[in-house]
Amino acid sequence: MTTYALLGAVEHGLMFSLMALGVFLTFRALDFPDLSVDGSFPMGAAVCAVCITKGINPYAAVVAGGFAGAGLGFVTAFLNTKLKILNLLAGILTMIASYSVILRIMGMPNLPLLGYDTIFTPIENLGFSPQIAAIIFSACAAVLAGLFLIWFFHTDMGLALRATGDNMKMVRAQGISTDRMIFIGVSFSNGLVGLCGAIAAQSLGFSDVNMGIGTVVAGLASVIVGEAVLSSRSVLRAVIGVILGSMIYRMAIAYALSFQIGDFRFSPGDLNMITAVIVVAALTFPGMRRKVGVGK
Amino acid sequence: MIELVNVRKVFNPKTVNENVAIKGLNLKIEKGEFVAVIGSNGAGKSTMLNLIAGILSPDGGQVLANGRDITALADYKRASFIGSVFQDPLSGTAKSLTIEENLAIALKRGHGRWFRKGVNRKNRQFFTEKLATLGLGLENRLKSNAGLLSGGQRQCLTLLMAVMANPEILLLDEHTAALDPKTAELVMSLTRKLVEEMNLTCLMVTHNMKQAIEFGSRIIMMHGGEVVVDVSGAERQGLKVADLMHMFEQVRGEGIEDDKLLLS
Ligand SMILES: Nc1ncnc2c1ncn2[C@@H]1O[C@H](COP(=O)(O)OP(=O)(O)OP(=O)(O)O)[C@@H](O)[C@H]1O
Ligand SMILES: [Mg+2]
Repeated sequence: MTTYALLGAVEHGLMFSLMALGVFLTFRALDFPDLSVDGSFPMGAAVCAVCITKGINPYAAVVAGGFAGAGLGFVTAFLNTKLKILNLLAGILTMIASYSVILRIMGMPNLPLLGYDTIFTPIENLGFSPQIAAIIFSACAAVLAGLFLIWFFHTDMGLALRATGDNMKMVRAQGISTDRMIFIGVSFSNGLVGLCGAIAAQSLGFSDVNMGIGTVVAGLASVIVGEAVLSSRSVLRAVIGVILGSMIYRMAIAYALSFQIGDFRFSPGDLNMITAVIVVAALTFPGMRRKVGVGK
Repeated sequence: MIELVNVRKVFNPKTVNENVAIKGLNLKIEKGEFVAVIGSNGAGKSTMLNLIAGILSPDGGQVLANGRDITALADYKRASFIGSVFQDPLSGTAKSLTIEENLAIALKRGHGRWFRKGVNRKNRQFFTEKLATLGLGLENRLKSNAGLLSGGQRQCLTLLMAVMANPEILLLDEHTAALDPKTAELVMSLTRKLVEEMNLTCLMVTHNMKQAIEFGSRIIMMHGGEVVVDVSGAERQGLKVADLMHMFEQVRGEGIEDDKLLLS
């Protein structure tokens, strides 16, 4: 693996850890398998990209992307809690519908951002290369998001949310509305994923309606790898594990792509397959399976 | 205090599995009563408790609390004045949260849950004192996950959590049935202590006649979704396990005869 590929993996690992934290929040903390994440990632990217082309400050554009993602999460929570649609299906419906909305927002399938100032520009202006600038920004974002989540999980609301993912009967008996927790958790999670999409769009230099495919599985892969590395006994360990897992996962991908046997090489098109294999391997490996239960 | 007026509950209505679990139940429970509920399997005891707690909503009739109609009130809203402990010791606590976090959730019942720190120094002190009264040494394990506790320990914790936020009513559904005799006794003495100290109105389902006699200031027997025996006051004095067993057999016998009548 070249240094360039390694740095790329670090950059992506840190950047996408925001998304992985979002996936962790729903799949693990809330025990809500939310597939709308595949929609909120490109949604965040699209809203951010459109904002930037309209001349809005790139940082504000990222926040707007985060809110757009949270909006999708809100829709999924609404479908699930108020209309009583199965959580998996609610997420899929939101994801499918978001495709059309994203096309409407962007007006085209792909919106390039070349030539515009991005969130990385101020850091680049300090004399860093674009890649290093992206790493610095993503590292800050990952640490902030991680600290925020750790703090949140220990507040009254955070405790109620974690308990909802653990034992709904107990939670309701303790006077907590599980519906409210699903609204908060799923919106918050998709907000993180939307933020991540917005940052990714600025880093990649474009927003594409198809850029969300496989987000959930990649996020889940990061979460699972993180759990395998740092058994997630406490919230602190679990959150750090997700960020580490995201980096390890991206490095594994980079390594697989640099892999060569004779004439055979993996192409970026094989990524989805590689990810699926990583997840399946991690899930079926017995010792790991226990850890995957996250204290369950 | 709590009143059921002509309450009906039908499971799977209009299907082949239609099951009238509670038929036209009328029951009035006064403040401070300790009602022991007995009856055979499938008599409708748990269903009645779930109707009071709001976990199930009735298909007819009303549920009143202090004269207020709470029939349409969601279970989590009723939790501010009703605490419940179920048979399954695992169902009352969140296993992936620590003991102190579980207690913090219970302490905030009936209050808003926002961005305050869940466990702080002040309430940790309070939790330590409360846990110490159990005599199980749990006060030294505040930071252990609740999932690491034994069933009995978890049931004690659940009981503590059920009354933590000072409810008026305590619902106990065979809460010692899954425990070994010694632990069951411990949980029962804790129950007595809490109910007396906090002056709670209590409904306890049990299959243990001795327990019913020992604890119930009023004993009701259910059968086929109805209250068939209801003893309290003077009648209740001098009631023995044998008497209760006798009534139980009688009710069951009648039930079988009813079935025969239906078949012939
Ligand atoms: N969720 C449900 N769906 C369908 N039928 C139910 C349900 N819950 C209870 N029932 C039925 O309602 C009737 C009363 O059940 P309930 O659980 O209240 O009995 P119980 O008196 O608590 O019995 P046990 O002593 O076995 O706990 C039974 O016939 C049972 O099959
Ligand atoms: Mg029962």
